[in-house]
Amino acid sequence: MSGSTVAAGRSAAPDRLPGSRPRSGRGGPGGPAPRRRGRRENLAGLLFMSPWIAGFLLLTAGPMIASLYFAFTDYNLFDAPRWIGLDNFTEMFADARWRHSVSVTLWYVVIGTPLKLAAALGVALLLSRKRRGQAFYRAAFYAPSLIGASVSIAIVWKAIFSDDAVVDRAQRLFGLPGGGWVGDPDMIVYSLVALTVWQFGAPMVIFLAGLKQVPVSLYEAAEVDGAGPLRRFWNITLPMISPVLFFNVLLETIHSFQIFGSAYILGGAGGTCGPADGTLVYTCYLYIQGFENSRMGMASAMAWMLLLAVGLVTAVLFRSQKRWVHYEEAAR
Amino acid sequence: MTTPRTPLTPSAVASPSRPPRPDPAAAVRAARRRGAGSLAWHLGSLAVLAVVLYPVIWVIGGSFKPNDEIVGSLELFPTAPIVENFTRLADGIADIPVTTFFLNSTVLALGSVVGVLFSCSLAAYAFARIRFAGRDLLFTLMIGTLLLPYHVLLIPQYVLFQRLELVNTYAPLLLGKYLATEAFFVFLMMQFIRNLPKELDEAARLDGCGHARIYWSIVLPLCRPALITSAIFTFINAWNDFMGPLIYLNEPDKYTVSLALKMFVDQDGVANYGGMIAMSLIALLPVLLFFLAFQRYLIDGMATSGLKG
Amino acid sequence: MPRTGSVDRRGVLRLAGGSLAAFGLTAAGCGAGGGSGDGSVTIRYAWWGSDDRAKRINETIALFEEKYPKIKVKTDFQPYLDFWKKFNTQASGGNPPDVFQNAIGFLRKYDEKNVLLDLGAQVEAGHLGMDGFRAGLEKFGEVDGKLLGVPVGSNSMALVIDENVFRKAGITPKPGWTWDDFDAAMVRIRDTQGRAGDSGMYGVMYLYDLYLRQHGKAFFTAKGLGFTEADLKEWWTKAYAGVRSGVYADPRKVAQIRPKSALAAELAGCEFTWDNFAVRYTSEGRSGYGLAPIPTTDGKRTGQYLGSLMLSGSKRTEHPKEVAQFIDFMVHDPEVAKIMGYDRGVPTTTAQYEAFEPTDEVNRDIAAYEDQLVASGVLEEITPHPSGADVAESAFLRLAEELALGKRSVDDAVRQFFSESKTALGR
Repeated sequence: MSGSTVAAGRSAAPDRLPGSRPRSGRGGPGGPAPRRRGRRENLAGLLFMSPWIAGFLLLTAGPMIASLYFAFTDYNLFDAPRWIGLDNFTEMFADARWRHSVSVTLWYVVIGTPLKLAAALGVALLLSRKRRGQAFYRAAFYAPSLIGASVSIAIVWKAIFSDDAVVDRAQRLFGLPGGGWVGDPDMIVYSLVALTVWQFGAPMVIFLAGLKQVPVSLYEAAEVDGAGPLRRFWNITLPMISPVLFFNVLLETIHSFQIFGSAYILGGAGGTCGPADGTLVYTCYLYIQGFENSRMGMASAMAWMLLLAVGLVTAVLFRSQKRWVHYEEAAR
Repeated sequence: MTTPRTPLTPSAVASPSRPPRPDPAAAVRAARRRGAGSLAWHLGSLAVLAVVLYPVIWVIGGSFKPNDEIVGSLELFPTAPIVENFTRLADGIADIPVTTFFLNSTVLALGSVVGVLFSCSLAAYAFARIRFAGRDLLFTLMIGTLLLPYHVLLIPQYVLFQRLELVNTYAPLLLGKYLATEAFFVFLMMQFIRNLPKELDEAARLDGCGHARIYWSIVLPLCRPALITSAIFTFINAWNDFMGPLIYLNEPDKYTVSLALKMFVDQDGVANYGGMIAMSLIALLPVLLFFLAFQRYLIDGMATSGLKG
Repeated sequence: MPRTGSVDRRGVLRLAGGSLAAFGLTAAGCGAGGGSGDGSVTIRYAWWGSDDRAKRINETIALFEEKYPKIKVKTDFQPYLDFWKKFNTQASGGNPPDVFQNAIGFLRKYDEKNVLLDLGAQVEAGHLGMDGFRAGLEKFGEVDGKLLGVPVGSNSMALVIDENVFRKAGITPKPGWTWDDFDAAMVRIRDTQGRAGDSGMYGVMYLYDLYLRQHGKAFFTAKGLGFTEADLKEWWTKAYAGVRSGVYADPRKVAQIRPKSALAAELAGCEFTWDNFAVRYTSEGRSGYGLAPIPTTDGKRTGQYLGSLMLSGSKRTEHPKEVAQFIDFMVHDPEVAKIMGYDRGVPTTTAQYEAFEPTDEVNRDIAAYEDQLVASGVLEEITPHPSGADVAESAFLRLAEELALGKRSVDDAVRQFFSESKTALGR
């Protein structure tokens, strides 16, 4: 789960987050406070934050700083790290396999994220009205998302996307060239996309929440005006759920960049991911470099490159939201 | 995407949890539509569901197939169903009763839920309601922790827990949950608390309540839906976690279900695909039950937490 | 970040360790297990395998604990890849298991990293006997005069065949048959049996090693690769043609039925692998599976050697004596052999070999196969692989598959393999 990266691209102070209530003008905690009050607030903040601060210092900060340092070293996990400056980065950029993993990942993100969100939104629209059996449908559609990455899933996926299996037969039925996806290094990435799309439960739930917030009266007013379902969706639903849509886009994009588990179970074997590196997504290669090739320095350098890239994408997404995301303050 | 301007009535948008005003004419129209629409809706939903659940049905079918019929087989159902895949699980895996793995996973998952609810809500409250020095910096740091792939943090963390002599206990798998390292949930709860009316805690403050009282007596009860949302996601994640238990647990009778699932197949041994498929089916049940029990609150939790991005 | 001097570097490290230091942690004491008041000790034993192996091993440990009541053994196991992932993490964290299953490709690697216990001292102290091994296997775990691993079960490369397919095609592999015979047989299977001959021998590093040995070379020397780009080009050019002509199984189909083997999935008529893996095909496939000899170049020399799984101790163990006693028991005790069977290969000591009489056909085949190898005197010696051999081996497999799938030309694959191996072995 990586939803909290939402604010990473901007100066991410809680008060400046979109969707926050405008500071109340009637002398609440936002107003000028006497100095003693400030000290008490600081103390309370420290107390409430103490589990987080302890966790950050103990479990996160050290390892993160260590990994930043390792990024500039040759480190095989056993001998002391040896400082090599930018060598890991120059080698990385010259490495055809690294470039391949970048393109697999980008392809996966660009294809998979919109499809997954579309599936999630589609099913959420289907389930948004109160109906008999709603609980059953929601649980059933969520069920695939409960399954962790395991060998069983890999076996099932191969049974579905092999040649002459159900997907292949369907393809031929529609006159498309068949051949199976999981054995084909150029196609297996699509079966990985299918696996991701299939587990659309989390964004679906978030869309359902957003749809629940759209007042029925708006639709009824539009219906009186003679708007068809498509126009109602385009003019009411989409703008009304745009904050939720934005949240999902951001969350799923970041998540997609970091995909590991399903790519590894689908194609992972010693030192590779997929036939001919077909599912060699970025973190798969990072994992191979770090754990199988014992090059933790290189793996750390790759990790920090990913951090920069995802940070950049996050920032761009945040910049874009002014143009298409409606927040309640904006409407005021 | 373009910006379709719509007549957004502020009152309708600003209070999403308020039920829409009843409108008699609309209700009648809706009732008429419902009869014919309902059947079509159910048929449509079931059709989509059939596609989505096809792989799950394959797993169910596969669990009744003999070992040599599972991998590479294209058929959904076995030619001659067998139940041995399930009955053999009663003998245990590696001399350990299957229930042990389920018990371990349950302990870990529930322990994680308690930890996340406790520690993340505290941090969320601080971010949302306390104006303390350095808050913005801490928030930025919290966001930053999410962007690094966890593989590079694995070894330094292992060294740490090993020096604390906590390897081969559940502590490395739980400690982070009690120290609010799950930033997603902090953020989720924070968003929720920020959308709670401030008037409530201002009134409480005038009555002389401190932050502790406000947190415990006012904010926590009001954000129950967000807590349940976090609980469900935490439970599922902990149940399915593989890397943590793999690295930290050294004795099979401490293993979790996700580790036990790996015991059926190894490259140089006899592979028991049937047992593996059957076990992964059973492993799905607890999370499915947990989800079913709480799904209503999950939707509510998200709806009222006002996820505005 | 600009390149800075050593002071800054130490500063960063100190900062990184700051979170540890802040909580008053010290770098001391990393040993696993420990002693307790009654003088009993606990050792950790890790291995790879599955449920079935676990049940056998638990039985042998019960026997051991009966004989050595003061030693408790705690086991830990995963499938192969997960095992090494975990082992690497634990060993680099200074907390490896006391005793663990090991293979030839990892001896030098972990010796260079100071992980492996030299069991020589324990042999001298009389806690571990290195007598009574078959076919010179006692030398198998020696590196530079150090005893780093004790073989528990020998195996050898073999050709596992689908007996029905070979019978129907009228092929009977005999010891000493040549590659020409083999190639003709593969074509015959393709033409008459409706499936490929072989499943993909071109990517099996251990088979190519045998082929090189038949020509007086080897895949690995103690320091690096023992063959040239021209050698590999020849091997993979033949592979490329074979895949195109359908003599070798379609790599797409092989990929899509993994983890099942192409032989059991009836995509090919035979497959080169370790003889003790033969049991697996019987459990996965519907046909009968047998063992055939490795083809030769000159009609005699197969290049084969006995490989073996080993038990190794960890250098950091606090109980080297108990580790040695444990290993000694596991390789010499006849009862252990009766329980383990050929699960990890044919028992390496004569006492254990004679104690277990296989009753099923597959295991009898394995015994006969190795007996024949020993008797025919074709066995050679093997030098422990250089550090990084495991990485080179997976690169070999991966690039062979990319070649077969048409993602790389032969020249490209060969060049890439030498480049990656240089990185892996040169470190």
